[in-house]
Amino acid sequence: MWRSTGSHWHSAISNLVVIYVLFTSAQSGTAQTGSGVLTGKVTNASGGTVANATVTATSVDTGQTKTATTAADGTYKFDQLPPGNYRVKLEAAGFMPMEIPSETVSGTETAVLDEKLEAGAQNSGKTQQQENLPNAPSTNATGPTLEDLGISPTQAQGSAQDQARLDKRTHMLKVHQRLGLITLAPLVATFITSANAGGKKESTADRTTHLVLGAVSGDLYFMTAYYALRAPKIPGTETRGPIRLHKAMAWIHVPGMVLTPILGAIAYDQKNKGEKVHGIASAHGPVAIVTGAAFGIAVMSVSFKF
Amino acid sequence: MHKRILIVLLLFGIPAFGAPDSQWILEQSTLTYHVSHPLHQSEGVSHAAKGKGVCHSGECDFLIAVAVKSFDSGDSNRDLHMIQVTRGAQFPLVTVRTRLPEAAATSATIHADMEIQFAGQTVQYKQVAFQLVTEGNKTQISGTIPASLTDFKIEPPTLLAMPVKNEIPIRVEMTWRPQ
Repeated sequence: MWRSTGSHWHSAISNLVVIYVLFTSAQSGTAQTGSGVLTGKVTNASGGTVANATVTATSVDTGQTKTATTAADGTYKFDQLPPGNYRVKLEAAGFMPMEIPSETVSGTETAVLDEKLEAGAQNSGKTQQQENLPNAPSTNATGPTLEDLGISPTQAQGSAQDQARLDKRTHMLKVHQRLGLITLAPLVATFITSANAGGKKESTADRTTHLVLGAVSGDLYFMTAYYALRAPKIPGTETRGPIRLHKAMAWIHVPGMVLTPILGAIAYDQKNKGEKVHGIASAHGPVAIVTGAAFGIAVMSVSFKF
Repeated sequence: MHKRILIVLLLFGIPAFGAPDSQWILEQSTLTYHVSHPLHQSEGVSHAAKGKGVCHSGECDFLIAVAVKSFDSGDSNRDLHMIQVTRGAQFPLVTVRTRLPEAAATSATIHADMEIQFAGQTVQYKQVAFQLVTEGNKTQISGTIPASLTDFKIEPPTLLAMPVKNEIPIRVEMTWRPQ
């Protein structure tokens, strides 16, 4: 009884501690970050109010988006905005959309953003784009030029040929990545079926299933490798980061993927003759495990960041 | 005689009229882009920007240029992919142009209208906030340019069929000094 009561008492205290910690941390979080208000009025070119305009505020820091609609008097308001910089987009039927790349919201003052929308459908907001302009020197006669920065026209000049080489490289490595992931499926199945294919098991069907899955894995593997090996190399690139581990693993799994089927074929033959797997063929399993592990590490090294 | 004086005045006067009032040089810089992916948060950093400001009649024109390939994310494969998606081989430079009043150097915060050329596109950003700290004759400027992939018509790269976020805020930290 005492033990039971004590346990309840303990639990109640624990709950109170948790509630207190949550409460105080929430309070301190509010005190540290606060929340801000962004408000404003949307008008047309003649100063008339624009009702039902959609105002979207996207946090530059977190990407979080909030949307508001202007009232009949053209006003809008965002409450409880975490302080920071916001990209604000204004859209209304019959008006050209407008985007303000950065509006600062503080936790202490109300940010006011009044904007005037221009009639029309074409996009000519505050963020304007011109297509396909090269990085040409400044057109401003008084402003500095690229030459002033010590950048020659040759350095500023791009190469469509180099870009095409990069495009081809990316395309081939994307195929390499997809095939590598696809290869994982039959490879795992080959490992699973290996349990019934070797040892004292006598089932020919299990052995054949293992053989077929291993052959499919091998074919997909070499197709995967082809796209990596044939991808154009970019001169002057020093290999850095996880790709080093990815490439290092190839020194293990490439010879392993050649050796494993050869050893497997010898083992398969020995088993079919009713013999126990012996000699060099007995290395089939360990070599396959090391090869599979190296391949798995190679895939993981470029797929996830730990 | 008067003609000679006039010619001498013109010869010496014209270059003086065209000369800038003052100039600024970008001494050091750190530009950092941030990319968000459901599985990754990656950043690429460049310290290779070059910049100059030329002031005339109280207005300063600034030009900053940085090579796309100078950004280092610590992963050469990702950097090459970044150059590919941003068409960095075809358009090797990012250039930023802005005009500020000379008096802005004494402010704690400035709001700059800037024109950025990148990936074959020219995009204007209005009223981007930067903080200024002046120590001695050096002025440190920091702020974030709220860039996005769609601004520059860049297709979002994907990893494991998941695209990165559209927002690629660029953190700017620069130290300028008068020339």
